[in-house]
Amino acid sequence: MIRMFHVFKTFPNKIHALWDINIHIKKGDFVFLVGPTGAGKTTFLKLIYRGILPTKGQVIVDGVNLSRLKPSLIPYLRREIGVVFQDFKLLYDRNVFENVAFSLRVVGAKNAIIKKEVNEILNIIGLSHKKNTNPHLLSGGEQQKLCIARAIVSHPLILLTDEPTGNLDPETSWEIMKLLFKINVWGTTVVVASHDKLMVDKAQKRVIRLEQGEVVSDTKKGIYSQ
Amino acid sequence: MLRNILFYIKEAFLSAKKNMVVSLATIISLTAALIIVGIFLIISFNIDNFIADIESQLIAVAYLKDNLSEEVIKKLVQETSELPGVKEVHYISKEDALQKLKEDLKEHEEILAGIPGNPLPSSLEVTVTDTKYLAEIALQLGQYSEIEEVNYGGELTKNLILVFDFVRKTGLAIILVLLFIAILIMFSVIKISVHSRQQEIEIMALVGATSWFIRWPFIIEGFLKGLLSSLMAIFILGRAYLYYVEQAKMIIPFLPISLEQEFIIKIDIILVLLGIFIGVFGSMLSLRKISYEEL
Repeated sequence: MIRMFHVFKTFPNKIHALWDINIHIKKGDFVFLVGPTGAGKTTFLKLIYRGILPTKGQVIVDGVNLSRLKPSLIPYLRREIGVVFQDFKLLYDRNVFENVAFSLRVVGAKNAIIKKEVNEILNIIGLSHKKNTNPHLLSGGEQQKLCIARAIVSHPLILLTDEPTGNLDPETSWEIMKLLFKINVWGTTVVVASHDKLMVDKAQKRVIRLEQGEVVSDTKKGIYSQ
Repeated sequence: MLRNILFYIKEAFLSAKKNMVVSLATIISLTAALIIVGIFLIISFNIDNFIADIESQLIAVAYLKDNLSEEVIKKLVQETSELPGVKEVHYISKEDALQKLKEDLKEHEEILAGIPGNPLPSSLEVTVTDTKYLAEIALQLGQYSEIEEVNYGGELTKNLILVFDFVRKTGLAIILVLLFIAILIMFSVIKISVHSRQQEIEIMALVGATSWFIRWPFIIEGFLKGLLSSLMAIFILGRAYLYYVEQAKMIIPFLPISLEQEFIIKIDIILVLLGIFIGVFGSMLSLRKISYEEL
């Protein structure tokens, strides 16, 4: 599903964010991307959804070489990738339902389908009783769930999440994790960038460890620090 | 398609509502600009009318002495018709002249009430093939003993046309400058609007909206603002124009100001198209490129 061949990313300020990355994430994988702040986790995720292009090397997502993807086709790649950001990026002038529906509206889905899909997702994440609420009235955990709902409502092939449990208490974090596992079980490839040691160790999933832009370890059923 | 259009329109209204103060400021400034453009259009169109009117009226009028016999007049018409450059000679009797004056002063007949009898002379109206012969023909006409006096609007009319032409060209230049300013206003306002909705745009780009899908709400916002501004400008301008024309006609009854439906519709259409053009073009300009990078 996701392949990286000798990927380098150097930013204009000469900072080497990623250095010779070779990775293969198969369809249906659940992968933790761990490492200290500044290790290149966010850059790694950005490469996958074509938020940035590699300085060198190839990134292939669902058989498409992103370096050769025409800009006009980026939207169609994005429809296959759900992204959950650390800073949520919610629309605070719309209610919960509309925030989730937004993903479907921009792809021109029918109202009846939007209604059905959004309600279904809100049920799954346990926010249907708050669908008319404004996001800023939600707790941190609920906002995170809302972001996940928005990312998966269009049934993407890949879900990328950046520090999904960053500011949450362990209990809520585990709830979010369980939600991600569930999404993974349905067949979505999930990549979670995290430095939440507790969660990573508890999850017993594949762990890719980045340090200063390089992959230092890649273990099945890994733990946070090897 | 329709679903998308509804979404665009909804988003456009949402955006306009969100930036209420900026939206109002845009509409007001655009309206003001369009009113000024409208004023110059009205002036320019009226000048066109006026010039055409004057040019068609460029004739030499030879006032005849009183009490000429019919034969003499006939002969005079015959002779003057054959002068080089003369297109047509038309005889106006004293009665005709009075009749025409009465018609011109319709609704103001009181002006004539105090005048006894018919003080107007009979005359020959000489139209020419080209206005440049006018002076020469007038000179020749003056040599006939039956002719009392020759009148033609030579230099004065020419100068008048020059002045009007200058006014019209200046007006056009002012219109162009105003247009440029109006587009700039629209451009910056939509930029502000785009900026305030940066996160929405970012999220749209993230969840797979095409760049045109992102642009449309802003273009519709520009369209609606342009349309609304032009309608307001037309309303204000229309009211003011009617009022001032009425006032002016009361003072100068024969002022050649157009009030024809066709003329007003023409100005309205131009203003609406202009408003929409400024709105849409301004929006397009501020949304040339939608960035999918570095989210």
